[in-house]
This record gives sequence, C-alpha cells and structure tokens, in this order.
Amino acid sequence: MYQLTDVTKLYATGKRTVPAVRDLSLAIGDGEWLAIQGRTGHGKSTLLNLLGMLDRPTSGTIEFDGRNLTRMREARASRLRAESIGFVFQTFNLVPTLSAAENVEAALIPLRAGAAERRRRVEAALESVALADRARHLPGEMSGGQQQRVAIARALVKEPKVLLADEPTGNLDEDTRDEIINLLEKLWRERGLTLVLVTHDTAIARRAGRVGVMSKGLLTIQAGTRPTHAGDPVTG
Amino acid sequence: MFFLTYLRRELRRRMRQAIFIALGLALGIGLVVTVTAASAGVRQAQADVLRSLYGVGTDVTVTGAPPKPVRPGSAPPKGAQTFQIGPGGAQVCQNGKCHNPAGQTIDRLDSAGYRPISQSKVAEVAKLSGVKAAAGGLVLTDTSITIPKKFGQPGGPLPTPNSFTVDGADTGDLGLGPLSAGTITSGRSLHSSDGTSNVAVVDSSYAHSHKLKIGSTVHIVKHSFKVIGIVAQPQGGNPPDMYIPLARAQAIGTAAGKSLKNDVNTIYVTAASAAVIPAVQAEIRKLLPGDTVTTAASLASQVTGSLSSTAKLANDLGRWLSVLVLIAAFAVASLLTMAAVARRVREFGTLKALGWRSRRITAQVMGESLVIGIVGGAAGIALGFAGAAIITAVAPELSASIPGSNGPRIVSVGGGAAAGRAFPQAAAPTVAVPMSASVTVAAIVAAVLLAVAGGLLAGSFGSWRIARLRPADALARVA
Repeated sequence: MYQLTDVTKLYATGKRTVPAVRDLSLAIGDGEWLAIQGRTGHGKSTLLNLLGMLDRPTSGTIEFDGRNLTRMREARASRLRAESIGFVFQTFNLVPTLSAAENVEAALIPLRAGAAERRRRVEAALESVALADRARHLPGEMSGGQQQRVAIARALVKEPKVLLADEPTGNLDEDTRDEIINLLEKLWRERGLTLVLVTHDTAIARRAGRVGVMSKGLLTIQAGTRPTHAGDPVTG
Repeated sequence: MFFLTYLRRELRRRMRQAIFIALGLALGIGLVVTVTAASAGVRQAQADVLRSLYGVGTDVTVTGAPPKPVRPGSAPPKGAQTFQIGPGGAQVCQNGKCHNPAGQTIDRLDSAGYRPISQSKVAEVAKLSGVKAAAGGLVLTDTSITIPKKFGQPGGPLPTPNSFTVDGADTGDLGLGPLSAGTITSGRSLHSSDGTSNVAVVDSSYAHSHKLKIGSTVHIVKHSFKVIGIVAQPQGGNPPDMYIPLARAQAIGTAAGKSLKNDVNTIYVTAASAAVIPAVQAEIRKLLPGDTVTTAASLASQVTGSLSSTAKLANDLGRWLSVLVLIAAFAVASLLTMAAVARRVREFGTLKALGWRSRRITAQVMGESLVIGIVGGAAGIALGFAGAAIITAVAPELSASIPGSNGPRIVSVGGGAAAGRAFPQAAAPTVAVPMSASVTVAAIVAAVLLAVAGGLLAGSFGSWRIARLRPADALARVA
C-alpha cells in the first residue's frame, strides 16, 4: 500500500529549521493496522499528514499503490483523498451547521455521486456506526462518542482503502474510548482496511498489528505482535 | 442540493454578521439609488424648464440681440416714449413732443428684451445644412400702466404696471416653439387658418388666476382676442401667458417704438440629428452675427438658482458620498468575510482532507457572499425607494433662473432702450420647479450589479485566503 523512502519533513520556525520527520523509510502493507506512538511534538501527526497527502515531504518519496505522491498535483491528490483515504481526527472536525447525515454526505460530494446514491450510502454508513436514529441531529446535539462515530462514518462512507486516525479517542472518556476502538477494529476487520492510528494509549497500540514509536522525528518499529486480518506478512 | 443546504445553514449560523454586512451594503446601495433618483429628478426638472421655454423638438434657438444699454443724456431712439418728471408733474414725450399723461392708460406690446430679426431669415435658416425645420416667433410683453392724475407731484401716487407675456406663434408651423410642449386641456389650439384672426390660447395658470375660459375676451394693446383654448405646460416651466397668431403679434407689437411687421425675435430650429447641432449652431452664427444662438445644452449650463445648486449637489457631493459609503461597505463586507473564513479554517481544512478541491470551497464561500450581497441589494433598493419618496415629500420647491431666455420679463412702458430709464428693462426669469426623485430602471439595474459586485468582492477576499490554505496547516492550527 505505502512505501516511504528516506522521507524528511522540515519546518521553518523563524530562522530555525525543525525536522518533524527524519530519514523515514517504511512499508505499510494492504490491510495492515499500524499504530504509531510517541510524545507530543515528535512527528506523529506530521507522518499521518504525509500519508494522507495533506502535506508534502521536504525530501524522500512516498508511494501509494505504486504512485509517487510527492510529485502529484494538488487536484489529483484531492481526488485520491476523496476516493481512497479516510481521516478521523481527535477533535472530530464535524461541520457544526450540518446534521450527522449531511456531515457524512460531505465526504461523497467530491465523488459526484447522485443524490439518491449519496442518501443510500449515508444511511448505510450511519447504520454501520449505530447512529441511524441520529441522522438529523447537529453535532452540538450529540455526545463526543457519537460525534466521533459520525466522523468514522464520514471517513468510511466512501469505502476508502486507508483509514488514517489521529488520536481518535483522545477527547473521549474510557468507556467511549473502548467503544470507538472496538468499532474501528470491527470495521478494519470487516472491510479489509489499512489502518494507521496515532495514539498515546499503549493499550490501544497493543491491539495493532505493528507499533511504531516516533521520537524526535525518527520512527522505530517494534516487533509485530499480531498479523494483519488478511494474514499477510508485515514488513518494516 | 448540498450546496444550498450548506449555504443556508452557514448563513443561519452567522445570521447577525450576515445581517450586518447586508445592512452595510444596503446603506451604500440605497444611497446610490437615492442620489441617482434625485439626479434623475433634477435632470427631469431641468428638461421641463427647457422644454417649456423652447418647446418639444427644438434643438437650437436664435434670439435677437438684446438692445444696447442707453448712455445717460443721450437722445432716445425715434418713436420711443420717455417719461420726464419735473416740477409740473409727469410728462410723456415722443419724437420731441410732450404731454401730461395724467389719467391716461398706456398700453404696449413690446419686444423689449430682443431686437427684431427679419422674418426672411427664418427661411434662410431653414435652408442651412443640417437644419430639419425652422419656425419664427415673437416673444412679447404686454404692459399697461394707468398714470394717476397727480403722478409726479409731491405726495402723488405711483402708477401700477400690469403686464403679461404674449407669444406670437407661427400658425404655419406649430410643431416648434413653446406651444408645442403644452397640452390643450380645453378648447383647441391655434390652426393654420387662424393666421389673421384675433384668437388666443391661454396658459392654464393664467386662465385660472384671471378666471378666463373658452369664449372669454382678453385685451392686448386695446385689441380684443377671443380665448379659443386653454393649454397646460409641463411643471417647472415658466410659459407665456397666452399665444396668438404670429401675424397678429407682428401687426400689433413694437420694438423700440417700431412696428414688428415682417419681423420675429426668436427662431426655433430643429436639427437633422443631435450630432449636427454644434455645426448648425455655428452656421447660424455665421448667418446671424450679433444675435444669440443657444442650444438646449448651452442653456442648461446657464441655469442658475437652487435647481442648479441641487443638480451640482446631487451630481458632485451625492456621487462622491455614495462612492465613499459603497467603498466603506465593501471594505467592511470584505473584512468580515475574511474574519469569517479565518474562523472556519479548521472546517475548510477538514473539507480539503475529505477531498474537496479549493475551488469547490471557494464557490461555497462566494455563494454565501453573493446571497448576502443580493439581500443587501434588495434592501438597498427598498431604502432607495424610501429615500426617493422622502425627497419628493419633504424637498422644498426649487427655483431656476435662465439669463437671456425668452421667459417673462419686466419691461418698461416706454419701450425700447429709452424705457430703461424708468423701469428695469429685463430680468433673468426665475421659475419655481417642484423637486421630485424617481427611481429608474437603470438605477435598479445598477443597484443589482453593485450588490453582486459587493458580494463577489467580499467573497473573493475570503476565497483568496482559502486557495492559499494548506490542509495540514489548517488542521495543525487547531490541533
């Protein structure tokens, strides 16, 4: 799925240049669940942004299904994001003026699906996160867990190949955290997704197929403890 | 449709801000509409003043040169009457013969403001290149004064002049001249067959104030004229009090004591097209050097008084005020839109992460701004109508003074240059003009265009920011 080679991302802060990711080489297989841990500010989210084409590396190459993302034009990158990559954010990032169903529908707008098709897929996505009865509710009328489930439905409604989750349980209490992680694991298993999940929580990271730790921009892959749901070997 | 749903929800969320921006735009656009309406009203008032003076379709007017001012002590022209007030009382002198006029009534129909032009010149003007039609006319004033018996003696009473204006209209060509601008409200207009008849068409205001109606008789220098029609001229004008056949005016009128037979003092000219008016004006000046050749445009520039001041106010101050308010409204709308975009950075970053392209997000923001602009435009048009209505309701009546025009003038009984010694010879006529402001279709179209422009301008600033927004930055800013 992903092949990262000597990827470096530098940020300029005033006269200083800060390396967020340094010389990172990594392969992520189809259907793999990779958890990334690390302290705040050590490059976890930057790596996720690079994988999701929300940012470009300063040097090195990132390939996605054999396509070089580093040279891809923004319009094509948008198209790829719309078709193949789902995002789940720590702060849910729902549009506050749109209902749950409309937030989910927003992910289908770039795909130019017809209204009937969109409606059908939105209903199915909300059903899959057990929120069909909350379709008309605004984000402000829902709990944090429910909002995150809407965000997951939004990420999955387009049936992506990859789900990138940036601390999806960071703003949730313990019970809701388990509920969301169980949901993500279930969907990962059922849909054959490639899941890259950034988390501080070691208990959650242990459920992943592989765990990488980011420290000062360097990634260290720990020994794999679990296979992917497809039983494929993991490389790192 | 998702676009409209998202747009509606977003506008509802920031309703107060949207209303504030729309009101700002409405204020600017309303001011533009009001000023445009006031300008249109003033222009219409000017046009009415000029139309009533020259009539419909008159492009160029030629008037006889004003009489030369009389030097003190010089002899009066031959035939002119003069007053002399001495120890024995008042005396009227003509050609060196004097008599005491006590108890007499002196009545003259005089062309005091303009020297006569030979009627043959009308035909010559009509033959000039670029001239479509030409008609002659006589603009005269009938003034009668009854001299009190003890006039001129210490403590004696002063004479009271009574005057009205008479227009000699060419019955062979009634399509030109002041009568053509009027509407017959009763009776009939002059006909070609009226050439030598003592008939008159009376202005409705004069008829009303003097209780004249069809069949009434009016006296012009002791000649009886039968009223055959009542004519109403456009508001704001200062039309002649009555119209009589040109031939009759020539027969009974005088200029400096001389008969006006075969003379006119005004020529009304229609040009073949608006483009040739300056050339026609130049040709006539060559043909009639010394006489005054005036176009509607040049006359408009001579209009003074509160009408002129209001026109300047509406055109200059009003226009700049509107522009300033519009710029302020556009600037506020743009700044608020940019602030709204700044508050929605996370939202737009998320949409970009979902695969929305910048232009799609830009279209969303532009759509919101456009709706605000259109609402502001609609409110602005409503404000403009209200402003125009208020101006029409409360604006005072304006006045217009037109120097050298053939409107009514105070003329002395002596006639000609000599009369200037006793009474003012001529004064710039001042007419009252009702001020009205009406919103035109062009103003509404301009308002809609301004509203759209304002919306697009405000949206484009926000869109510029969105286009530059990198999704990772947008998400990092709030992470």
